[in-house]
Amino acid sequence: MTDIGEAMLIALVDGELDEVNRRRVERAVAADPALAARLAQHRSLRARLAGHYAPVAQEPVPDRLRAVLEESATVAPLVRPAPRWRDWAMGGAIAASLVLGLGLGRMSGTGPGSIGMRDGVMVARGALATALDTQLASAQGVDGAIRIGLTFQRQGGGWCRSFDGPIAGVACREEEGWQVQQALPGAGSQTAYRQASSADARVMATVDALIDGAPADAAGEKAAQAKGWR
Amino acid sequence: MSFERDLLAILPRLRRFAASLSRDRADGDDLCQAALERGLKARDQWQPGTRLDSWMYRIMRNLWIDEARARQRAAKTFAPEEAGAYVGHAGDRDVEAHMMLSDVDRAMQALPQEQREAIALVLVEGLSYKEAAAVLGVPMGTLTSRLVRGRGALLELMGEAA
Repeated sequence: MTDIGEAMLIALVDGELDEVNRRRVERAVAADPALAARLAQHRSLRARLAGHYAPVAQEPVPDRLRAVLEESATVAPLVRPAPRWRDWAMGGAIAASLVLGLGLGRMSGTGPGSIGMRDGVMVARGALATALDTQLASAQGVDGAIRIGLTFQRQGGGWCRSFDGPIAGVACREEEGWQVQQALPGAGSQTAYRQASSADARVMATVDALIDGAPADAAGEKAAQAKGWR
Repeated sequence: MSFERDLLAILPRLRRFAASLSRDRADGDDLCQAALERGLKARDQWQPGTRLDSWMYRIMRNLWIDEARARQRAAKTFAPEEAGAYVGHAGDRDVEAHMMLSDVDRAMQALPQEQREAIALVLVEGLSYKEAAAVLGVPMGTLTSRLVRGRGALLELMGEAA
């Protein structure tokens, strides 16, 4: 029997308990498997919700929202880098053929955000491999050719990162490099908001399926990169 | 102007909050745009030194409530026999948008408004109870009971997979 209510469990998950109450709830949880299971459910719910909406805050802000602020800022216009999406038209076509299962072998090593095959699995090459290795989502411009979305640990261990560009998808770090779990045509042009969001939803579903806990924050991402994603 | 620049800095988070309140991403960006416009118009009411993000969350949340009320009114006026079933949504775009929703989106949509906004501020935006209660203008006890009920409903809606 325990006097720990749902509100106390939730407050623990939300980091709202003081030291004394936190210890009290933790002791009760340690002694009661049912309570521990409920706590795990709540932790997982919070991580899942946070992880589900996190990509929205990490993707580039749509032009129309930027425009509202720019039109208002008449004194000192905001600097707005010209989008480089045009260069991606080619990559988008390649990505489309990739999804159709055509010409996969020919892509090795060339083109923006390349994906190659090794021992029957898709691996990141070239610009995509470099971006996955070095680019921090917390410190990237709005106009990079490849954008990193979420960085997170997968169930069973190991780092994964979602990306968008000519190709959008999710890659996980294996010993010999980044293994691409999913590859879809990325955000092909700035007017293709609808199209981009359909890839987003599928990438997010993959993230949801793989993720263990919450995605890394800026500090966690940086630390993982410093350790070479090991 | 630094006001616009400050808004630009928090815009990614405002978009995320809008997404967690709205049916889909397109609706979220519509809400976000309306909130930006309202915020710019009311800029004189913001007190420097206070949190701009909390102020904008409040503006956005009020717009969202107003919009939901207007939708309900429209649904009652124009389609009384369907009221409650679709609450003003119909057409291919809506069907298509709904099919693309994940379990999380669907479960969030099923929550009553006062639970959804509490969940969005605390679990998605990471606000403290105190901050979230201030944004919503409710006592802490009210906020925590909405969090308890909202979470219970989400766990039920999303199943054990949550």
